[in-house]
Amino acid sequence: MNESLINPFTLSHPTAVQTSFFAGALFARFDATGRFIAAARLNGPAEIWDLETRAPIRWLDGHVKSITSIDWSRNSRYLLTSSKDWNVLVWDLASTCDPPQRHNSIRFDAPVVSSSFHPNNSQIILVLLATGEAYVCDLRKQHKSRVELDEDESNGQGPCGSSPITTARFDPTGKNIFVGTAAGYLLVFNTRTKTMIARHKISGAGAMKGLEFTKSGRRLVTNSSDRTLRQFILPTYSPLPTDAELQHHTYPPFLDVELEPTHRFNDPINKTAWHAMSYSPDGDWLAGGSADPSGHKIYIWDISNDGQLASALDGGREPLVYLHWHPAKSSLASTTNQGSILIWHHPNPERWGAFAGGFEEVDENVQYEEREDEFDIEDEAVLHERKMKAEEEEVDIDTVVTGAEAAVLGGKGAQSDNKGGATTPVGNGISHFMDTDKLGSVGLGDDLIDVETAWAEEDPDGDTPGGWKMKVIMEDEAADYY
Amino acid sequence: MDPLAGMDDSSTDDETTSQTTEDDPQVPENQPPQPQAPPPGPVPQAPPTAAIGPRERPHYSLRHTLRGHTQSISAVKFSPDGKLLASCGAETVVKIWSPETGEFLRNLIGHTQGLSDISWSSDSVYLASASDDTTIRIWNVETGLTHKLLKGHTKWVFCLNYNTASNLLVSGGCDGDVRIWNTARGKCMKTLHAHMDYVTAVHFNRDATLIVSCALDGLIRIWNTSDGQCLKTLAEGHDAICQHVQFSPNSKYILSTAHDSTIRLWDYQTTRCLKIYKGHVNAKYCISACFSVTGGKWIVAGSEDHKTYIWDLQTREIVQVLEGHTDIVVAVATHPTQNMIATGSIDSDLAIRIWVDPRPRPSA
Repeated sequence: MNESLINPFTLSHPTAVQTSFFAGALFARFDATGRFIAAARLNGPAEIWDLETRAPIRWLDGHVKSITSIDWSRNSRYLLTSSKDWNVLVWDLASTCDPPQRHNSIRFDAPVVSSSFHPNNSQIILVLLATGEAYVCDLRKQHKSRVELDEDESNGQGPCGSSPITTARFDPTGKNIFVGTAAGYLLVFNTRTKTMIARHKISGAGAMKGLEFTKSGRRLVTNSSDRTLRQFILPTYSPLPTDAELQHHTYPPFLDVELEPTHRFNDPINKTAWHAMSYSPDGDWLAGGSADPSGHKIYIWDISNDGQLASALDGGREPLVYLHWHPAKSSLASTTNQGSILIWHHPNPERWGAFAGGFEEVDENVQYEEREDEFDIEDEAVLHERKMKAEEEEVDIDTVVTGAEAAVLGGKGAQSDNKGGATTPVGNGISHFMDTDKLGSVGLGDDLIDVETAWAEEDPDGDTPGGWKMKVIMEDEAADYY
Repeated sequence: MDPLAGMDDSSTDDETTSQTTEDDPQVPENQPPQPQAPPPGPVPQAPPTAAIGPRERPHYSLRHTLRGHTQSISAVKFSPDGKLLASCGAETVVKIWSPETGEFLRNLIGHTQGLSDISWSSDSVYLASASDDTTIRIWNVETGLTHKLLKGHTKWVFCLNYNTASNLLVSGGCDGDVRIWNTARGKCMKTLHAHMDYVTAVHFNRDATLIVSCALDGLIRIWNTSDGQCLKTLAEGHDAICQHVQFSPNSKYILSTAHDSTIRLWDYQTTRCLKIYKGHVNAKYCISACFSVTGGKWIVAGSEDHKTYIWDLQTREIVQVLEGHTDIVVAVATHPTQNMIATGSIDSDLAIRIWVDPRPRPSA
C-alpha cells in the first residue's frame, strides 16, 4: 500500500543487502505473502522468521536428520518439510500450542530429497526420494493414495530401465508435474491421472538439477549438470481425453518433442555451477546463485531485455548455498554456507522533499503555464460555494480492495505486480499477474472450472486468505536465545 | 403552500413525530436538531419514508454511565471482539468494563504515573498502555498482569497503536519520537525522530506498511514502516494544530482533528482535503474522533462544549448531538460490530457514558 508514495522510478531488482539474520540455516524460503521466511537448520529443526519484526517466531522440531526441502502452502498456513530421516512432515501454523505440533507425517523407505504442496490444496503432496522415484501422495479422505510417477507405465510399454528422477515440481497451476531425470529429459505428468503427457529431451544438458517456474507458469528455467541455466517457453498441453476414450484402452499419446531453450545462462569465464535460481514475481528478471566457493555471487539477468546480464551482486565472503526471490517485492533472500540469511532489497533513497508539505519532486524542470483566470480576484462567496460543492462527492471509507483486484482495476500496467493486501489464490483460470508473456496465461476459458482444478479443490484444506491467523506468541523474559 | 394548509391543523402540536421534510417544507435540512435529553427509554422516531428523501440519522441514547475513575479520563477503547471496554486516565490504572452490562471488571495496576492512551491487540488478549512514566506496558487482560514493560521513550508517552497482525506496536512520545516495537520480544525496533513537538497520535494502516503521525508542531507525516523513511507531509494551516489522526478502515483516507474546531478527511495520495466537518468546539484539548461504520457511516467526535457530535460522513452535516456529560468530552470510541459509542470526560465529570442505537442496520 505504500508503493504509490514511494518513488516509482526505481529498478525492479535488488541491489544491496538490507539485513542479515544469523540463523544457522541450510536454506531459506519466503512464504507466499513474503512476510515470513522458513529456514532449515542443521540436524533437523525448522525455524520461521517474521520479516516485519526481523525475529524468529516459531521453532518446528520434528526431524532427526537434516531437512532437505521446505514448502509453504498458498496462504502460508501449512509448512511442508522433508528430511533425510525418510519422513515428510506437515505443520499447521494456525495451531495455538507452542511449540507447534506436527499436523501430519508421511513415511517413506528412503531419504526424501524434496517435497512440495500442490498449489491449490496442501493435502496433495509431491515427494521425490533419493532413489530417484517420485510419488504423489493424496491425503484427502476420498482420494487417499500414494502413486508413483513412472514414465514406463504410462507408455503402456514394458519396463525398460527409465533413468532416475532428480528433480520434481508442480507447475504454478497445479495441473501438471514437471520432472527432470538424470538422462537430461523433462517429463510432464498430469496431476490428477498421474499419466505422462509429455517427454522433452533437453539436448546437451546432463542430469537435471533443478526447475523453477515463473508465476504464470508459462516459462521454466532448468539447472543441469552442464552448469547452464536454460529458459524454455512451455508448449500448451492438450487437455486429457475423457474417460469414455480411456475405456477403449487407447492410451493417450504423449507429446514427445525436444525443447529448445530461449536463453542459456552460464558463467563464461569460470564455468561455475549454479546452486539455485529464482524468477522475479513479474517474470522479468532471473536471479542465479553461483556455486563459486570464493564468495557470495548472485547474477541477475534481464529477461525482458533479451536475457542480458543486468547486475552481479556480491554478498561477501561466505559462499552462497541457496537463493529465493520475494513473491511480491524486489527482494531476495540468499543463504550462506555459514548459515546466515541475507535479505537483499533495492534501497529507496530518502526523499527530503517529503519532510515539507506541498513539495513534489520532479525529474526535469517544468515550465508553469498559468491559466487565463489565474490572477483574477475571486469572490469569497463563490470560492466557498465551489469548495462546498467539491466536498459533496461521496467518499468510500471502508470497502477494501485486495492487491490482486487492485492490480486489475487500477490498470496501472506493468507497475502493478501483485503487491499488498491479501494474496488471492490463482484459481479458475484468470491470472491477475501482469506478465511479459500474456499468451496463454489465461487458463481454459475465463469462467469454466476445468476438471483438473475441480479435482484439486475437492475437500479443501482450510488454508484461505484471512481464514486463519498466526498467533503472536509473547515470549517470556528467559526465552531469549540469541 | 396552500394545499398544505389543511394538513397543518391535524398535526399542530407534535412537531417531533415526523422528521420527514417532504411533508413540511418549513423545516430546513441544516437546522441543528433540538438537544435531546437522554430519556430512560429511546422514543421511537418515525423512520424516513422515501429512499431519496432525507438521509438516515442515528438515534443514539444513553445506555450506561460508568463511574469509577477518580481523575480525568484520557482514552476509552473497545476490544476488537467487542466484549470489553478499556479506559485510562490521569489515575495510574487501566480500568476494564463490560460494555453490555456496564459493570466494572478489573483494574490493571502497575504504572507509576498517569496514562494517556491504550490499544488492544487484535485477539483481544493483550492491551498496551502508554504512560507519563515514559514506559509502555503490555498487559494480559484476563490475568491483569503486566506481560512486557517497554522502555525507551525519554519523555511522556502520549499515544500508541497495535497493527492488525499485532506483532508491532507504534508509539509517540512528547520528545517528538515515534518508536516501533516488536511486541513478542518487547524490544524497540526503530526510532523515528518524527517531529519537533509532542507527538499526539500514531496509527498503522491496514497492512502495517505505513504509519501516520501528527504532532503539536502542526504537521501530519506518513512514514514507511519497514525502513522508517518519511514518505509525505500534510501540513495544516498555521492556526490548525492537528492533534489526532487515523487511517480510514480501508486505509485510503486520513481523518484529522485540529485545534481550529474542524475535522478533515484527507486523501493522502493527492494531498487533498476531501471533507471538512464543523460545528463542534475544539481549541485546546486533544480530542479524538472516530469512524462509525456499523450502522450508517458517521464521524463521531467529542467537543469542548460538553457534547458529542455525530456527522454524516458524506454530507458533513451534524446528524446527532449526544448530551449528558458535564465537562469536556475528550475520548470517543465506537464498537466494532454494534451501534455503540463510548465517551469519556474529564475533571468535573469523571464518567464514561455508553450510548446505543438500537435500530437495526440499514439493509443497503
